[in-house]
Amino acid sequence: MIAKKIITLSCLFLVSNFSLYPQQEVVMSIKEGMPLIHVAIPKFSVEDPSPEAKDAADILYKVISDDLKYSRVFSPLPKNYYNYIKPLDPDKILFNDWESIQAKLLIVGQVSKQDDKTIQFEAKFYDVKSERFIRGKTYQAEKSILRLAAHKFSNLMMETYGEPQIFTTKIAFISNRDGSNELYMMDYDGHNQTRLTFNQEKDYMPAWSTDGKSIAYTEFKGGNARLYIYNPFEGKRKLVFDRGTSFGPCFSPDGKKLAFCSTEDESNSEIYAAKSDGTNIKRLTFNKSADVSPSWSPNCREIAFTSDRGGSPQIYIMDAEGSNVRRRSFGGNYHDSPSWSPTGDRIIYVSRVQAVFDLYILNLRTDEIIKLTEGYARNESPCWSPDGRHIVFSSNRIGTIQLYSIDYDGANLKRLTSKGQNKLPDWSQK
Amino acid sequence: MKKILILSLSCFLVIAFFASCRKKVEETPPPPQVKEQPKVEKVEKPPVKEPILTEDEIFVKKSLEELNAEKPMMVILFDYDKFFIREDAKPILQNNADWMKKWETVKILIEGHCDERGTEDYNMALGEKRAKSAFDYLLSLGISSDRIKTISYGKSQPVDPGHNEIAWQKNRRDQFTIIEK
Repeated sequence: MIAKKIITLSCLFLVSNFSLYPQQEVVMSIKEGMPLIHVAIPKFSVEDPSPEAKDAADILYKVISDDLKYSRVFSPLPKNYYNYIKPLDPDKILFNDWESIQAKLLIVGQVSKQDDKTIQFEAKFYDVKSERFIRGKTYQAEKSILRLAAHKFSNLMMETYGEPQIFTTKIAFISNRDGSNELYMMDYDGHNQTRLTFNQEKDYMPAWSTDGKSIAYTEFKGGNARLYIYNPFEGKRKLVFDRGTSFGPCFSPDGKKLAFCSTEDESNSEIYAAKSDGTNIKRLTFNKSADVSPSWSPNCREIAFTSDRGGSPQIYIMDAEGSNVRRRSFGGNYHDSPSWSPTGDRIIYVSRVQAVFDLYILNLRTDEIIKLTEGYARNESPCWSPDGRHIVFSSNRIGTIQLYSIDYDGANLKRLTSKGQNKLPDWSQK
Repeated sequence: MKKILILSLSCFLVIAFFASCRKKVEETPPPPQVKEQPKVEKVEKPPVKEPILTEDEIFVKKSLEELNAEKPMMVILFDYDKFFIREDAKPILQNNADWMKKWETVKILIEGHCDERGTEDYNMALGEKRAKSAFDYLLSLGISSDRIKTISYGKSQPVDPGHNEIAWQKNRRDQFTIIEK
């Protein structure tokens, strides 16, 4: 069903990475519209009968299945297919059987208990037709972080097929679940929601640094709205800009620059760019209107942003130095929050029509616009996954503001949060 | 019939007798304990007559929090998507300016806020423009610019969490906070 949906999509695009099978000389270039690769994932075998190992095998199996289903690259076979063939014997794989149920790839996993805390997980995947081992790895992980081990194996499969390794990426966001607006992060699938700031101040608009180690965000404190870069893994924080109201950070995909907004000049919001460590700040826009919400193009040569220089907020693109400004949104009077897809050919943005906010994707090559959400609500703050196949956004469709992920074609809508109000998501590149 | 009557009467009497007996048992109180009343000494301090403070002295005495809680400067409201000063806001700003002229050491922060029907990003710019409108108006009334700071909270700090025009109107506002006195 999903495969059909993809095939019907008219626009194809190339993902820039090419890669080789390690043992087969096949160059893969994954395109949108490519049929999904059917993967057989028989239950992982458990070497010792301890309940811990069995539980671990269940978790690992579920996470890998969910990852691959989410990937839009692979497609796990329906479970009832496995009833038609003999159960897997890891020592003697009957590849013909697996081919007969349409499997292109076969994942074989073995789980064992190392000690009270540690689980060992050995996973391999095979090409069914050529009956060859492709790649495999053995992971050792504490029971509490088994999901991470599973995500790493899913990443290994993505890497083999030249795809960005999205399963260990994180989403930063703002939540008021513990009172005031604080900074949080979670796994791409909504698990492991972790509070990062404990400052009892109001934190706002986070953005991951390109290396996935730091987060730029605004802190409202004592009548100031200052922009900081915070490394939650080392607990270090650095002030970037403290004049005016400073907000809306966005790191360039090459990791060299940080664009943001400030109202330091005459209370008018303008766009600035700094080096990614926050130094060497230069102003990019100079006019009497408001310019907000910068988003870098994947080649870092252009910036999409919102400006009301034409009388209403609209999406514009400028060169990275601020020149050559051109308008890219028409036919509405309120467009904002552009996010440039990592594939380069699309910009997703918010359009307001009679106080209803929906997400739209503009194809920059064909000028085609696709309406992505139909929420009768406020769908806001869209941000692409690093592979350009998924989008995280906030919506108040259930009454409170929560985070959702959706695919580029409107499939797989999924709510990721439920406690308190959650908003302003930003998806890390790594 | 008569038998039943006599029987019930005698039953009643018996019950009444026992009931009265029980009552009597209960009524015998334990011997009252002899309690010595503690001698209470009422500690008193000769009252100091509170001086009648002047308005200036009261002002100096108050903390910034106490001062802000009194809301000497009133909120002004804005139209949807707009940041111009409405007619109904002008007398309020005049009042705020008069108060600032009276207390010349006061410095204020103008917070621009928006309702939920704008996007997070653009509302940050709009909130700041609303703060700037009030800033400019106070300047035109003779307040010095170094006494006023502005900030935008966009739509992140609504005063009314409702989703109707009454709430939205309350949220499209400039708030005036005293930050120094």
